[in-house]
Amino acid sequence: METTILGLNSATFPHLHIWDWRVALYLFLGGLTAGAMVMSSVANLRKDKSSLKEKACCVRLPLIAPLLLAVGMFFLFLDLENKKNMFWFYMTLQPLSPMSWGSWALLAVYPVMILFGLSVLPEEFYPRLPFAFLKRLAATLQPQMRRLAAANFVMGILLGVYTGVLLSSYVARPLWNSALLPVLFLISALSSGAALAIIMAKQDKAKLFFTKVDIWLLFAEIFVLVGLFYGHYSSTEAHREAIMPFFDISSQHFPYAISIILLSIVLPGAIVLKFLEVRVDHEGPIVGRAKTQMITSAALVLVGALIIRFAIVYAGQLSSLSRYTSIY
Amino acid sequence: MPRYAMLIDQRRCVGCMACIVACKNENKVPPGMYRTRVAETTAGIFPKLRMELRSELCNHCDHAPCVDACPTGASHKEADGSVQIDKSRCVGCKACMAACPYDARYVHPDGHVDKCSFCNHRTKVGKAPACVETCIGGSRIFGDLNDPNSEISRRLREHHVRVLLPEVGTKPKVFYINRFSTPGQEG
Repeated sequence: METTILGLNSATFPHLHIWDWRVALYLFLGGLTAGAMVMSSVANLRKDKSSLKEKACCVRLPLIAPLLLAVGMFFLFLDLENKKNMFWFYMTLQPLSPMSWGSWALLAVYPVMILFGLSVLPEEFYPRLPFAFLKRLAATLQPQMRRLAAANFVMGILLGVYTGVLLSSYVARPLWNSALLPVLFLISALSSGAALAIIMAKQDKAKLFFTKVDIWLLFAEIFVLVGLFYGHYSSTEAHREAIMPFFDISSQHFPYAISIILLSIVLPGAIVLKFLEVRVDHEGPIVGRAKTQMITSAALVLVGALIIRFAIVYAGQLSSLSRYTSIY
Repeated sequence: MPRYAMLIDQRRCVGCMACIVACKNENKVPPGMYRTRVAETTAGIFPKLRMELRSELCNHCDHAPCVDACPTGASHKEADGSVQIDKSRCVGCKACMAACPYDARYVHPDGHVDKCSFCNHRTKVGKAPACVETCIGGSRIFGDLNDPNSEISRRLREHHVRVLLPEVGTKPKVFYINRFSTPGQEG
C-alpha cells in the first residue's frame, strides 16, 4: 500500500535522473567515432602526390570507428525502457525530433564509414578479409578513396554535432540549452578522435601530425568550455543556477566540482605534454619515454572527453525550469 | 470539436491532496509515481509567511516540446488539443521527459512514458477528469475553450490568469488564478 503522497516523479527529484551513465557513454563513444571518422579522413586526404599505397595512412582507425559506434549504440539500446518497440524509430520520420533524425542518419553514416574503411585498406590486408566479395569490393573502392574520405569527413562532422544537438534542443534543461554545446561536443569529439589516432597510428609522422592538431583542438575546447559557462552565467537565473553545481563543493554537488577540477588538470596537462613532444626533434623512431609521453597525453584527452560527457549529462538533469513555476 | 483546458483557482486549494489520490486511483498510477502533484511553496520570514499551493500536471501545451522531441510519434496531439501518449509506439527513450519544462512525465514500470491524459477515457463519455470531480474546494475547473458558455471560458474572461513558464512559449492549456483575495470577491 502506498502511504505517502509526495507528487514527485524522478524528474522532479534532484537525485533521480532521466538519463544515466549509458547515455553519457553513448555520447562519448558517438563523439569518439565522429572524431575517428574526421581524423582518418584528414589523414588520408592530406597526401596527394604519393601512390595509393603510400596514401593509406591510419588504416585501422576507420575500421574501428563502426565498432565504437556499435558499442555506443548498444549502451543507448540498454537505456531504452521498451526495447521491443525499437522498430518504431524506422517506421516514421519526426521532422522536429533530433533523435528521429539521428536514427535515420545512422543509415547513411554506417555505409559511408564501412565503404571508406574498405577503400583505405592496402592490398596486403586483403587476405585478412573474411569474404571474397569484400576483397573485390575493397579493390573496386580503392580508386574512390578520396571521394569516400570526403563523404566520411562530412558524416563525422554531422555525427559530432548531432551528439550535442541531442541535448541542446531541450529548452527544459537550461544547462544543455545552449548553441555552444554542439560546438563543444564537436571539438571534444575531434580532439578525442585525434587522441585515438595518436594511440593507433603506426607511422611516427602521423602520430606527430595528430599531436599538433590536438594542441589546437584542446585550446579550442577549453575556450568553448569557458565560453559555455560564461554564457550561462550571464544569462537568465535558470541558466546561472544550472552551472552552480560545478562551483559548489557541498556533498550534494561534489562530483560536479571534482569534474571541473579534473578538467582543469587534464586538459592543460595534455597541452603541456603535447608541446613538449612537438618541441623535440624526433629524428629517430618514437620509442621509450617519448612514446609513453605521447600515449599519456592522448589518454588524458580521452579522459577529459569522458568527464565532459558525464558531467554535462548528469548536471543537465539537475537543471530544470520547473522549479521556477512559483509566483514567489 | 472541443478544445479542452483546465483552470486552477489557487485561492480555493486547501492542499488536501485528494486530486492526487483520485488520479492515482482512476488511472492506476503505480506507487511512487504521479500524474499530478500539489507543490507547496512558502515565502517570507516567520511569522509573516505566505504559502502557495500549486497543483501541477501536464499542461497539454499547444506548442508541446515533448511532441516535437518524440522520435516515434508516440507523444502526439489529439484533435481536442490534449497531448496523449500512444503506448504501443513508445520506446521509452525518455526524450519527452527531458523536453518537458514542467517535469510532468515519468517512466511507467510497463516501459512506456506516462503522464496526465486529462482523463480522456472519461471526457470521451462526457465526464470531468477524476481530479476535477473530487476537488473539494472547487479549485480545479475543466472544460471546453471553444464553448463561450462553458464555466472555464467564463472564468477565463472574468479573471486575470497566468500560465506556468510563459517565457518558454509552450502555450499551456492549464491556467492559474492566483490573486489571493477572499473567494467570492473576485476582481
